[in-house]
Amino acid sequence: MNRILIPVALLTFVGGLAVLAFSQRPWAPRQDVEQPIPFSHRIHAGVNKIPCQYCHEYARRSQTSGVPPVQRCVGCHGDALFGGLKPVTRPWTNHTQPAFEIRWNRVYTLPDFVRFTHEPHIWAGVACQECHGPVEQMDRIQPVHEINMGFCLNCHEKRGATQECFVCHH
Amino acid sequence: MSEGLTRRSFLKVASAAGAAAAIPGCESAGRNIIPYVVPDENVIPGVPSFYATTCSECSAGCGLVARIREGRVIKLEGNPKDPISDGSICARGQASLQGLYNPDRLAHPFLRGDDGRLRRISWDQATRHLDSHLQAAAKGGKDRVAYLAKPHGPTLDKVAGLWLKAWNSSRAIFHEPLANPAASTAAQAAFGRKDAPVYRIDQAEALISFGADFIETWESPIEYSRQYAAFRTPKERRGKLSIGRAAYVGPRMNLTAAKCDEWIPVKPGDEAAVAFSVLHVLVQQGWVSPNAGFDAAALKSFVDGYDPEAVSKQTGVPAETITQMGQFFGQAEGAVALAGTDDPQAHLAAFMLNAVTGNLGKTVMFLEDSPESNLSAPAAIDALIEAMNQKQLEVLVIAGTNPVYSMPPAAKFASALRQVPFVVWCGTVPDETAEHAHLLLPIHHPLEAWRDTNPRAGIYGLGQPVMQPVFESRDLGDLLLTSAHTGGADSKSVPWENMADAVNASFQQIQTAIGDKAKPADFFAQSLRDGGVIAEAKVATAKLNSAVFQTKPKAAAAGSDLILAVYPHIFLYDGRGADKPWLQEIPDPVEQLVWDSWAQIHPETAKSLGVSANEVVELRTDQGMVAVSALISDRVRPGVVAMPLGQGHTAYGRYAKGRGVNGFALMAAGARSAAVKISATGAHNALVTPLFGENMMGRNIVEAMSIEELARGEAPESEKAPGPYEMYAPFPYPTHKWGMTIDTNACVGCSACVAACYAENNLAFVGKEGVENGRIMSWIRIERFTPPKELADKAPQMYITPMLCQQCEHAPCEPVCPVFAAYHTQEGINGQNYNRCVGTRYCENNCPYKVRRFNWYAPEWPAPLNLQLNPDVTVRGAGVMEKCTFCIQRIVAVEIDTRVHQRPVRDGEIVPACAQACPTHAISFGDMNDKRSEMMQRRDANKLRTYRVLDAELNTLPAITYLREIYHEKGRA
Repeated sequence: MNRILIPVALLTFVGGLAVLAFSQRPWAPRQDVEQPIPFSHRIHAGVNKIPCQYCHEYARRSQTSGVPPVQRCVGCHGDALFGGLKPVTRPWTNHTQPAFEIRWNRVYTLPDFVRFTHEPHIWAGVACQECHGPVEQMDRIQPVHEINMGFCLNCHEKRGATQECFVCHH
Repeated sequence: MSEGLTRRSFLKVASAAGAAAAIPGCESAGRNIIPYVVPDENVIPGVPSFYATTCSECSAGCGLVARIREGRVIKLEGNPKDPISDGSICARGQASLQGLYNPDRLAHPFLRGDDGRLRRISWDQATRHLDSHLQAAAKGGKDRVAYLAKPHGPTLDKVAGLWLKAWNSSRAIFHEPLANPAASTAAQAAFGRKDAPVYRIDQAEALISFGADFIETWESPIEYSRQYAAFRTPKERRGKLSIGRAAYVGPRMNLTAAKCDEWIPVKPGDEAAVAFSVLHVLVQQGWVSPNAGFDAAALKSFVDGYDPEAVSKQTGVPAETITQMGQFFGQAEGAVALAGTDDPQAHLAAFMLNAVTGNLGKTVMFLEDSPESNLSAPAAIDALIEAMNQKQLEVLVIAGTNPVYSMPPAAKFASALRQVPFVVWCGTVPDETAEHAHLLLPIHHPLEAWRDTNPRAGIYGLGQPVMQPVFESRDLGDLLLTSAHTGGADSKSVPWENMADAVNASFQQIQTAIGDKAKPADFFAQSLRDGGVIAEAKVATAKLNSAVFQTKPKAAAAGSDLILAVYPHIFLYDGRGADKPWLQEIPDPVEQLVWDSWAQIHPETAKSLGVSANEVVELRTDQGMVAVSALISDRVRPGVVAMPLGQGHTAYGRYAKGRGVNGFALMAAGARSAAVKISATGAHNALVTPLFGENMMGRNIVEAMSIEELARGEAPESEKAPGPYEMYAPFPYPTHKWGMTIDTNACVGCSACVAACYAENNLAFVGKEGVENGRIMSWIRIERFTPPKELADKAPQMYITPMLCQQCEHAPCEPVCPVFAAYHTQEGINGQNYNRCVGTRYCENNCPYKVRRFNWYAPEWPAPLNLQLNPDVTVRGAGVMEKCTFCIQRIVAVEIDTRVHQRPVRDGEIVPACAQACPTHAISFGDMNDKRSEMMQRRDANKLRTYRVLDAELNTLPAITYLREIYHEKGRA
C-alpha cells in the first residue's frame, strides 16, 4: 500500500507547495492596487517635485515610512475645504469608519517573519526608488521589484551590509 | 482510489496537502493602511512611546513605565524613578496587561432581568437605572446606599465618600480579603501607632521572619527582595567578609524560607512563642540595647516562662535552634524581625525584638505623616452584612473586590446580597459577585484610568491612562462624580467633573503640602512625566510602650493534630490573578505546579493518613469542605496541610473558572489556619509540573559555596573543564559577543523574569494539558533543586536559578539542524530562524540545558489578548522551534540607532527583558569583548564564584557565567 501512498502524499505535498508558490505568492507586492482616492504620485512627486519624505515622514526615524496623515494633505489643499479636522479616537472595539479616515490599500507586504526597518536604509543612502521603483512616474503605484530575500541580499552584498539572518528574522 | 488505500490513509494524504497550504507566516498582513487624520506630534508609528503610571495589582504601589506601540500598551516595566520598584516589577505587575486585554472582560453594561438573564443595555440606560434606584434609596432615608470596594487610591476613595454623601449615606466599606489587622493591632499596642513601619533589610546583618513571606507576597515584595539581595551580598562587615544571616519561622517552606539560612518549621500560631523565646535569650544573655529606654525588670518578668526549653516542648523547635537565633540576632549590628501571621502576638514579639535591640529608627522605621489605612475594621464589614440582611440597604455598589468569593462562608455574603434590592457590580472580568448583581457596569482597567497612590509617607504615585479603552468601559471615578452631581452635590462640595480633575486637584494639595514653588501646571506635568512625586519623609521617633510588658502574652491554644494553613499564592494572590493565563502557567517557584491548587502534606503525615501522591483528599474544617489533590512534599511541617489561595473560581473568566479549590471556603473571618480533618477519597487527579526532578543528580546545574570558603579565598572543588577543545578554528566574534552574568545568590526565584519574557517575546501559553505533555513554552524558567540529605549542612536550603539558553560557543543544537535554522550569529547568539525551521526537533533533543521549545500547537491569543503582542517579534506558528534570543529585537534596535548616529554601543544600553525585570539585579547583560562592561566586571570581581553550567562535562562554552550561591555552613553561628 505504501508504494502508492507515499508517492501520492509526496506529490500532493509538493504540488500544494507549488500551487502556493506560483499562484498566490502572498509575500509578493500586489499589482495594480486600486485606492479609495485616485491619488497620483506622478503629479505629487514627479510634476511638483515634492520630496518623498515630506509625506512619508517617518521613514528616517522608524520601521515604517508612514502614510501621510490627512492633515498633511489638507496642509496644501486647504483646510477651509474641510471645515477643520479633529483627531479621531475611538475604543478598540469600535470599527466604524469615521469621516476623513482613509483606508488605503496596501501594495507592499512582508511576511510576519521578516522585520524590515526603513530607518537604517534611509541613513545608508538607499534611494526610495531602489526598492519602490520610479514612483514619481507612476499615477497608480506599481511594484517594480518583487521584494524577496534574494532582492534584499543582492543589495546587502553589494553594499557590504550585514548578511546576518537573525537581524531580519527574529 | 486504488486497492488498499483506506479512508484513513486518504485523510492522511489530504492533510499533508492541507499542511502545505497552511505554512505559518505566509498569510498576508492587514490589507489596509489607515493613517492618522490629525497626527499626534509625539507619536511616530513604529517607535515606542513611554508613559509613567502606577501599578495597582497590590498595595505596594510600584511605579510603572508603560511601553506603547501604535496606541496600545505592549509591555510594562518598573519606573526607575520610583524608590519602591526601582525599575523592576514582579510577575503580577507584568501580567496586569492580561487583565487589561482579558478576553472575558465585560464589554458593555448589562442589566439582569426578572428571569435572571443578563440583557445588554446602553450606558445611558445604565446610568438612568442607577440614578433612579439611588434617588429612591436616598428618599427612603439615611444610609440606604452602600459602597463596598478595595482601596483604589486616595482620590478615588475620597470621591466615593463624596458620592455616598450626595446620596444621603456614609456607608463606605474598604475591604481587602488578605489585609492583616494583626499588624496594626500590635503596632497600636507597642508604639501607639496605626501605621506600619518600613524596613531596611539591607542595613541589617541579621533577620528573622515570623511568617512574613517578603519575597512572595508580604507588603512590598519587589522592594524587600531587592533589600534582601543586598543583605545577602558578601561584603566587609566589621573587617570580615560576610553575608547577612537569616531565619524563617513558619509552617511552610516558601521562597523566603528557601532563601534564608534556616527554615524553622512550626505549626501556625506557634511563631509568637518562638519569637518570645528568642527575646528571652536576648534578655538572658544581656544582648539588649542599654539605651533603648525601658524597664529591664519588667521585660525580664515578661519573657519569664519563655525559656527555650519550655518553648521547645510546646512547639517542637529545638531549644538549641532558638538559642542560636537569639545569638545571631542579638550580636548583629543591625537586625530586623518581621512578622506576617494573623496572630497579633507574633507581630508584637517582632516589634519587641526590634525595639529591645535598639533597631528602631535604624532598620525599622516609622515615618511621620504616614498615610492612614482606610481599610474597614472587620466589625464594619459585619455591620454591613447585618444591614443587608435587615433589608436596610437599597443600593449596594461593589467595585474591585469579590466578596462572594473571598468572604468566609460563615458570613453568608451571597445570601445577604439577595436581600439587597439593587446590587451594582463595577469591574472588569465578571466574577462570582457579578453573578449576584443586578446591574453590571464595565469600568476601566487601572491602565486606562486616572488614579493616584500614596503607598507611604513621601511617595505620591500618579497614574494616567496609557491607552484608549479596549472596551466600552467607563472610569469608576467619572461614574461616581457624574452620579454625585445628579444626586445634587453642588460644585462646591464636589468641584470636579472627572477623575483627571480630581487627581489634578489632589496633586495641587500635595504641592502645597510639600512646599513646591513651581507653577501648578508645571508641577503636574512634571509629576505626570515622572510618574509621581517623591518628597522627603522624616523618620518618626517611636518608643516601645512599656505597658506592653505588663500584660503577659496569652499562651497559644493547644493546637489540634492537623492544621490547615492557607497562604496567598505568589502569582494569584487572593484570586485576583487567576484570570491571567501567564500567572496560571508560570510554575509556582517552590512547588513548581501550574494551573491548579493543591494540599501540601508532609510525607510522614501522608503516611499516617494513608494518602498517596496526587490522591484527591477531602479537607474538612468547621467552615466547610473541599476536595483537592494531595502534594506530598517535605517542605511543610509534619501535621500541617498547606494550601494556596486563589483558585476555585466558579466565574471570573475562562482561565480562572473551574480550576482547583477556594481556600477561603475553609476559613473563618480573617483566619489563615484552622483545624482540619482529612480523608482520602482514592480518586486521583494529577498535579502538573514542568520540572524534571528534585535533585541535580550530582551535576553542577547550580553551584554554591560557603561564606567561610569565600572569606578564606578557596573555591570549592568542582569538576574543571579539561578543554576547551576546539575541532574547528575558533569563532572570531568581530564586533560584539553578547553574554550574561547571573548571580544565583541574588536570585530569589520570584519569576518576574519569566513573566517579562512571556510579555516581551510573544510566548504562547499551552494550558494544564500542554504543560503535562511537556509543551510549556517559557524561554526562561526558574529551576529549583534540593540538596541531598547528606550534604544538607554544606549547602543552601534550596538551589534556585534562572535557566535560559546558554548561548553556547560550541552549541550542541547548531550542527544537528538539517536546514541551518539553528545557527551561530556573528555576535555569539545561537540564532533560530523560524522561517527556515522544519520542526525536526533535533536541536531540542541535543540541547543539554533543555531550553528549546517546540510549538506543538498553533498559538492562540483570543482577542483582544492579541493586542498585547510585541510587533517587533515574530509570532511563531505550529511546528516551529523557538528559544531565547537574548531579546534580539532590543539588540537590533540599539545597533540600528548606533549605526544611524555613528556611535558605539554603550554598556548597559541593551537590557533584555529578563534582566530588566529582575528586582535584585541578579542578571547582567553585556559584551564579552568589552572587558570593562559591567557584566564582565561582575565576573572579575567575583572570580572565585564563577561557574558555567555543565561546561566541564560538555565543553559547550556557554556565554552565560553564573555566580555561586553563598550559604552559611551549618553549626557555625
